[in-house]
Amino acid sequence: MLKRVSALASAITFTGNGLNIAEAPDFTLTQYAGSEKELKKALGKIPARMSVSLEHDRRTQLRINPTQIWVIGEPVEAEACISTPLSSSRTRIVVEGENARFVLAKLSAIDFHPKQFKADTFVQTAIHHTPALIHCVGENAFHIYAMRTFALSVWEAVTDAALEFSA
Amino acid sequence: MTAFKRIDKPSHINRTKQISFQFDGKMFNGFVGDTLASALLANGKTLLGRSFKYHRPRGIIGAGIEESNALLTTGSDGRTEPNTISTTAELKSGITAKSQNAWPSLNFDLMAVNQLLSPIFGAGFYYKTFMGPLKKSWMMYEPIIRKAAGLGAAVPDVDSARYEMRYMFCDVLIIGSGPAGLAAAVTAARSGARVVLVEQDFEFGGSILSSGSEELERWRKAQIAELEKSPEVRLLKRTTAQGIYDQNLAVLSLTPENHPALKITEQLRARTIIMATGAIERPLVFANNDRPGVMLASALRTYLNRFSVVPKKRAVIVTNNDSAYSTAFDLAENDVAVTVAEHRGTLSGNLLARAAQLGIAIFPNCGIADVIGEKQMRGVRLSGRHAVTIECDVLGMSGGWSPAVHLTSHGGIKPKYNEQIAAFIPGGFAKSHFGAGAINGTFGLLAAIREGDAAARAALPDSKKIKEFDLPAVREDRKYSIQPIWNAAEKSNEKYAFVDFQNDVTVKDIKGAHQEGYFSVEHLKRYTTLGMGTDQGKTSNVNALAMMADLRGLPLSQAGTTTFRPPYSPMTVGAIAARSVGLRFKPKRLSPLHDWHVAHGATFIEAGLWMRAWFYDWAGKTPEEAYIKEMELVRQNVGISDVSSLGKIDVQGSDAAEFLNRIYVNGFAKLPVGRARYGVMLNDDGVVLDDGTTSRITDTKFYMTTTTAQAGEVMSWLEYLLQMHWTDLNVHVTSLTDEWGGMAVSGPNSRRALQLAFPEIDITNEALPYMGVIEFKFEGVEVRVLRLSFSGELAYEVHCSADYTTALWEHILKAAELLGIKPYGLEALASLRIEKGHVAGADLDHRNTLDDLGLGKMAGKDKAYIGKELRFREDCQAPERWSLVGIESMEEGAKLRGGAILFAATDEIKGHGRGYITSVTWSTELNKYIALALYNGGLKHEGEDIICAFPLKNENVKARIVSPHFIDKQGERLHA
Amino acid sequence: MRIPCPHCGERDVAEFRYGGDASNVRPSHGSGDLKQWHDYKFIFDNPQGPHLEYWQHVYGCRQWFKLNRNTATNEIVGGER
Repeated sequence: MLKRVSALASAITFTGNGLNIAEAPDFTLTQYAGSEKELKKALGKIPARMSVSLEHDRRTQLRINPTQIWVIGEPVEAEACISTPLSSSRTRIVVEGENARFVLAKLSAIDFHPKQFKADTFVQTAIHHTPALIHCVGENAFHIYAMRTFALSVWEAVTDAALEFSA
Repeated sequence: MTAFKRIDKPSHINRTKQISFQFDGKMFNGFVGDTLASALLANGKTLLGRSFKYHRPRGIIGAGIEESNALLTTGSDGRTEPNTISTTAELKSGITAKSQNAWPSLNFDLMAVNQLLSPIFGAGFYYKTFMGPLKKSWMMYEPIIRKAAGLGAAVPDVDSARYEMRYMFCDVLIIGSGPAGLAAAVTAARSGARVVLVEQDFEFGGSILSSGSEELERWRKAQIAELEKSPEVRLLKRTTAQGIYDQNLAVLSLTPENHPALKITEQLRARTIIMATGAIERPLVFANNDRPGVMLASALRTYLNRFSVVPKKRAVIVTNNDSAYSTAFDLAENDVAVTVAEHRGTLSGNLLARAAQLGIAIFPNCGIADVIGEKQMRGVRLSGRHAVTIECDVLGMSGGWSPAVHLTSHGGIKPKYNEQIAAFIPGGFAKSHFGAGAINGTFGLLAAIREGDAAARAALPDSKKIKEFDLPAVREDRKYSIQPIWNAAEKSNEKYAFVDFQNDVTVKDIKGAHQEGYFSVEHLKRYTTLGMGTDQGKTSNVNALAMMADLRGLPLSQAGTTTFRPPYSPMTVGAIAARSVGLRFKPKRLSPLHDWHVAHGATFIEAGLWMRAWFYDWAGKTPEEAYIKEMELVRQNVGISDVSSLGKIDVQGSDAAEFLNRIYVNGFAKLPVGRARYGVMLNDDGVVLDDGTTSRITDTKFYMTTTTAQAGEVMSWLEYLLQMHWTDLNVHVTSLTDEWGGMAVSGPNSRRALQLAFPEIDITNEALPYMGVIEFKFEGVEVRVLRLSFSGELAYEVHCSADYTTALWEHILKAAELLGIKPYGLEALASLRIEKGHVAGADLDHRNTLDDLGLGKMAGKDKAYIGKELRFREDCQAPERWSLVGIESMEEGAKLRGGAILFAATDEIKGHGRGYITSVTWSTELNKYIALALYNGGLKHEGEDIICAFPLKNENVKARIVSPHFIDKQGERLHA
Repeated sequence: MRIPCPHCGERDVAEFRYGGDASNVRPSHGSGDLKQWHDYKFIFDNPQGPHLEYWQHVYGCRQWFKLNRNTATNEIVGGER
């Protein structure tokens, strides 16, 4: 089998206090597009709106715009709507720990206060001038989906922002 | 002869923690809690600098951000900070400070000779003097004059500090932690709102720190303790609010403690903003009011009550308002002899009684005629009827108070004049902005606290009942009474009466400006340079414009004010750049093959944000050497190149074919499945937007490629059309640039190479003809092969998902090793396509039409496409427009250069010429330099001789116009 | 400046791409009328005051929308999808 190579293969690892930053690889991402009806038919249940993620049928759904949903997990047999595999297009970075929110606040002009950005919320924003999706997956745990070609730059921006918390 | 001393009185310094520091090479001691200025005063240093133009001896004037004179250079090498404001600089162990603008020493400054030339160096002198004898003479005088003036010197070293940026949000931002600010913060905190309190000082409390009152100190500590316990409150000391911008964005400049960054810039979005920024005392204007030892009256009080530093024996206070008496009384209570020169004729009974109690002599109807002493004042001569000379150590002056309205001005609100307090107050507040305390002209302490509390309640109207506020147990506020005196100088010595200390602007200069016609406030400022120093006129603006109003016979309310702009106080550029410096300025965009290229001798070049492999060391050490070898490999054998940066777009939906048919000039509706087609798209204005190759994967699924440079533009364009105009089309577009990696396998042996790599797959000419597309799975990975050629040779593009591109690339290299396959880079890739005559980025410059590029025949005559209408407008069809030609060099050894301007052989080499070269390469096939170019009239001139002029290198090269397709005109290699 | 994306809410202007004047009506595709297309593309007002314009949330949901922005004060008065 052909070997998979990570976009962060040459990235310098990070060790922090109250902070863990690492690649979280091994995920399958498929984008499904269509009307509200078509998406419901293909996926069963879909998120009612953007910015809130949905766990359904052992998959995570992120509605990135009114007609497109990212599904993280096993792809769905969906004739009703248009599907586009995107597993290679993003590199996923996990940022977690009590200091995680302070790091995020240096990367994007989004309010990351625990009451405003809690588990199962996500935003699409810019990190270091590149498009990124930030998904809150726990009390102080976040997944950043960076574009693969920008992944190393994003990694450097994130770990640099975390300098004050490095061990 | 030292004018100040440190006394035992308890204050805000911590006497258990001594600090040593350096000033002008000598060691001194101070305490934690001192500023650089208070420590210098305590050590008897009153001469701290030389003024900007005249090099007059100068010392400390104030005790805060308004300081205009006592600027020192601190630090060294990459951490040098010129113009450090000594009155706000927190004293830290190991600080080294140096005086500025004096040579060879502060005490003996040769440049003080400037003072003798002061008649020449008045305001605006460079508009009136130093203009002859020759026209360019100013260029000779300028460096000398510049050397003679100035304050701190910038250093050429790179700033070695780290700066950070962060983005925060809150419900209430309170700026200033004096009585009004503290009250607002506590009330806001009690509502549970998210509160941020910023204070530029290193202690909270504002004016309370200078009060010397035990009760106020208790109150101050209690508010801070309550705030520290509130979980949703952020307390930011050492933080200056530098500016307020649209939609309540406040930019804060923080100096953090125990942090890798020297400064943090915070962009804070607040729902509401309460400005409790206080007021700044004004000097009085009289002769020699700039001498070391002449200070703001309130500053003397601060040095006493906050830092335990007092004048040695006697202080004279000159004033036109009641506030200066707080200083007078506090000094007297600490055994300083005090005399008051009072400009007004009457005074309140209470003040007179207290003064009498303390043994303070008051001279009414009297100001200061002159100050005696140069490097340190030693006395004053009173004006008015009492022409008395008094020996003293310091002179405290108070001309009144100016509310710090700057932040309201940032929002465009002009301040308005208030007669009662003889000061400018905010002209209003924007919605969701509030003011409290001295900024409103409310100078009483209890009144300020009440306003702070009220402002917080107004800012949070929906809050549940908030607990009532605790006032400190102090006497009710005294009334504030003032008689404005804008110019207290005697006519005979107005040229020594300073209005703006930092830029050496005197009363004479202001009168001069008026005389010469520069009497609008904007002209006054720029002509005299007053208010343009690092202090931005904090102690000079109001006196100056009031003087000008008087000269013009206008009431102050009509005189106008200049506009305050951010930053409020000096800010280092590094803090604004934060981490966007050096290689971090832009993100780097890397191909999935990047690490492989690094490991195999590639040199990189930037293509927009991309780092692309430019050439490989197997081919040579320099790009000129290498690209020729790489080109030869492709023309004669087989090479492999990384094309992952191409824009790739997934176009899917039942209307996908219709959509592509509308945007491309050529037909796509009937493109068969498994086929690719070269397409060109125009913008609405009829000019070429981009080109690319689009393949049909299924009936409703297309794989579009774009140029690297335009990928983002095209994506946004397609989304715009689908979302804003053609909403009835069932089409979805998604970027696949990151999902797929791509490699070009090119050359006469490219088929053999792929057959060796994929022995199970049929890659014969029949199975995969020119412009065909096939897909298959290889070791679990989807592979797409498109038979496209950029180079003009037999060639294929192999695409697969980016995670496996490196493995697939390595596999092909290994499988075809015996053929001699090697990688080739961007330089060779570009050169090959130039030989072939393919247009690319350099030629698609958004001014060129289809016809300009020789592609006019591509456009469908009977079908509609974007840009069809405007493509035929007059200007786009003009016959002498330039269009694409090929150029062959006719001079052996001479280079053709990109950007060279083209002339007919018979033209004079002058002016704009007839066109220019867009792309150049050495042709390995023709053994000469060739180029693609745009030339007026295009191929009508095929065969004609031309000159390629490159004035930057003084080259005029003979060349000839030829077809842009230099090789394989019949396309035999493509269809092999 | 903050731009109110109809899908994501208010965001910093750096996340967006400005798309120009939105007051002209796009002629139908293939209308063939040169003057109509010329006026659509090149003739529009440049007001000091309220201005209807296109924006795209390029770093966010990538959706295009229109909004009314006062070019003198940057006050944004509502938007449309």
